[in-house]
Amino acid sequence: MFLKDGVKRRTVLGMAMAAGLAGGMPAAQAADDIVLGGSIPLTGVFAFAGEGIHAGIQDYVEIVNNAGGIEGRMIKYVPEDTAYKVDASVAAFNKITSQYDTNFYYGDSTGFAKTISPELDRKGTILMAGASFASELNDPEKHRYQFMAGPDYTEMINILLEYIADENPGAKVAYVHSDTEFGRDPIETSQKRAEELGLEVVETIVTKPGSVDVSTEVLKLRRAQPDYTIFHGYVLAPIPEFINQAKQMGMETKFMGTFWSMDNSMVMKMGEAGDGFMGVMPYAYYYDDSDDAPMLEKIREMRPEYQSTAYMQGFLTAMLMTESAKRTLEAGKELNGDNLKAALNSIEDFDTGGIIGVPISIPGNSIPVGRIYRADMSQEKMVPASDWIRLE
Amino acid sequence: MRIGTAKETYRHDEALFDTPVQRWWLAGLFVAIAAFPFVADAYWIYLGCLVAINIASATGLNILTGFTGLVSLGQAAFMGVGAYIVAWLEINLGTPFFVNLLAGGLGAGLIGILVGIPSLRVKGLYLAIATIAASVILHFVFANWTSVTGGQSGLTMPPATFLGTALDQPDKLYWLIVPVTVLMVLGASNLFRTRIGRAFIAIRDRDISAEVLGIPLLRYKLYSFALSSFYAGVAGGLWAYFFRVVTPESFPLVMSIFFLAAIIVGGMGSILGGILGAAFMTMVPEALKLIVGWLSPWLPDAVALLSPVRTIVFGALIVGFLIFEPRGLAEAWRRLRRFFHLWPFKT
Repeated sequence: MFLKDGVKRRTVLGMAMAAGLAGGMPAAQAADDIVLGGSIPLTGVFAFAGEGIHAGIQDYVEIVNNAGGIEGRMIKYVPEDTAYKVDASVAAFNKITSQYDTNFYYGDSTGFAKTISPELDRKGTILMAGASFASELNDPEKHRYQFMAGPDYTEMINILLEYIADENPGAKVAYVHSDTEFGRDPIETSQKRAEELGLEVVETIVTKPGSVDVSTEVLKLRRAQPDYTIFHGYVLAPIPEFINQAKQMGMETKFMGTFWSMDNSMVMKMGEAGDGFMGVMPYAYYYDDSDDAPMLEKIREMRPEYQSTAYMQGFLTAMLMTESAKRTLEAGKELNGDNLKAALNSIEDFDTGGIIGVPISIPGNSIPVGRIYRADMSQEKMVPASDWIRLE
Repeated sequence: MRIGTAKETYRHDEALFDTPVQRWWLAGLFVAIAAFPFVADAYWIYLGCLVAINIASATGLNILTGFTGLVSLGQAAFMGVGAYIVAWLEINLGTPFFVNLLAGGLGAGLIGILVGIPSLRVKGLYLAIATIAASVILHFVFANWTSVTGGQSGLTMPPATFLGTALDQPDKLYWLIVPVTVLMVLGASNLFRTRIGRAFIAIRDRDISAEVLGIPLLRYKLYSFALSSFYAGVAGGLWAYFFRVVTPESFPLVMSIFFLAAIIVGGMGSILGGILGAAFMTMVPEALKLIVGWLSPWLPDAVALLSPVRTIVFGALIVGFLIFEPRGLAEAWRRLRRFFHLWPFKT
């Protein structure tokens, strides 16, 4: 009996090991697959966005592959979790690029994008985009093989400023930003732009990201009496606390945010106080039906439940990557960093199927387009407050 | 089985590696380390370098926390000091890497002495908090001394060069990082055969008794801080050469906790413990990712579904080790060795 059991156990163990070994090999890459690797933050502080990005890329890749791929070549998406740590992201990059001939890569942070940039230059075979909209990356000379599927942070603030200058010329503006690289990114450069537009920057407040007690900062804001207050460098806290306290003090300032604090689920967490919260969004919201948007309809068909703005970001990034691969292959050229980037830069008046409501062009590393949305708490939705604004 | 290792002299008794078998194994290990970059791909070489950097820093923390009994949560900030010094020197003066690394280590060591001053008065958790305070101050300096540190966007540096060759790839940097780490680890092992190292242990075991024995506490505690920070500084310098971008966010407080966890899991007060702990903490998350990868043919979208599970498993493994192997991985290793000492007569 014992022997029988032992044999059984050994057989099962052997089978498990064989299965493990078989699975241990990296899933085979067909010779002509186009590979999109990704350092995706599926765990850690940025997981809320990572999950959306992952789903977005996955869905677009599925759409393309179901339609027969690009010139018959399938796209293979190879994600790896990074927990939003630069060393893990670089590890993932090395792992994926040593296992596959990678053509595209999605990076999860500004730190990673800066770290891997020399390696991208050295390889010269990969075109990369990512979750970072850092102004620093929007430099086609310095970051040759990178782009971002939207406006950089400075451009986002500039879109807000254009809207303000249009709505309320000569208005007073205050900035509230976090004490991080992300938070400080657009502040100095966009202050210049505000002056050019005839707006007055009356206060700049720096806080820790996620700080809880902001009462002294709110008092400072009240003394400055701005017409508009722009938050940047936060995901949620301390924005709701700021708005609550300011409203209790009877302040009339209009609060605004940038991309990462603008997802529907984030804004709705602000509760009643968030009503009227505005911000710049480069993509249409999942439920937006203000424009004709076949791609949004397709997304709603594939996923009946709400998808975050990070999903749209991932989706559009995959779309632009695919488009540049398509253009490169159509021109009969090899898929390498230079050709893919040139193909990406050749994109002009491109229809994204409604992900961005106007035709887009990518002359450099960014897409300087966005729209102002406003929170409508009665509908629990973000509704358009302006038309699409394109920076010249 | 272990035979014929009678120790006839004190010198033999004190030797770092005391049996021929052990020396053979060690030689084998060095051969394996040297052969590694020729057989491994970029990913594994990258991880090898990362493990080596973490071992260097964990060994430094082990000197301070494991051997001298002074709990510190400032290791990451000291690494930051070393990294910034190395990056600054490389960018502005272009001095050779060994000069920069030494300067990074010495600079961090000096800061370490400053931070260590309160250690004469405060111990245990209180000291841990004091070192957190010091690391907050250092982070503030990193973020705001813009003319030197480049502020929030940090410093981007050129690669190290050796005889005209740029060490810009993990497979080239391996030959810088691993030998430096091996030297540092051997140095630390030898330290505890000297008066200074034994004084550290005496302070850890009972500081009042140590003082009665004639060990000047402040001086030796500061030695320990200086040495530990020197290790962190050099490790930080290697880190800087490895990633070539140093920002205030590169060395967060969790990184200090990571190193503390590494020496606890590995075994405090044991050089081998620092090595095993750093390797465990760096490699287990990657190994778990590999397992998740293996499951992907059967489980669609395994990466997304299992990533949170992986984090939980990693946490559970650490807790498991603390419960079942409280003296760390080094103790498990010793037990394994003892088993073979008597094998096959007693199994």
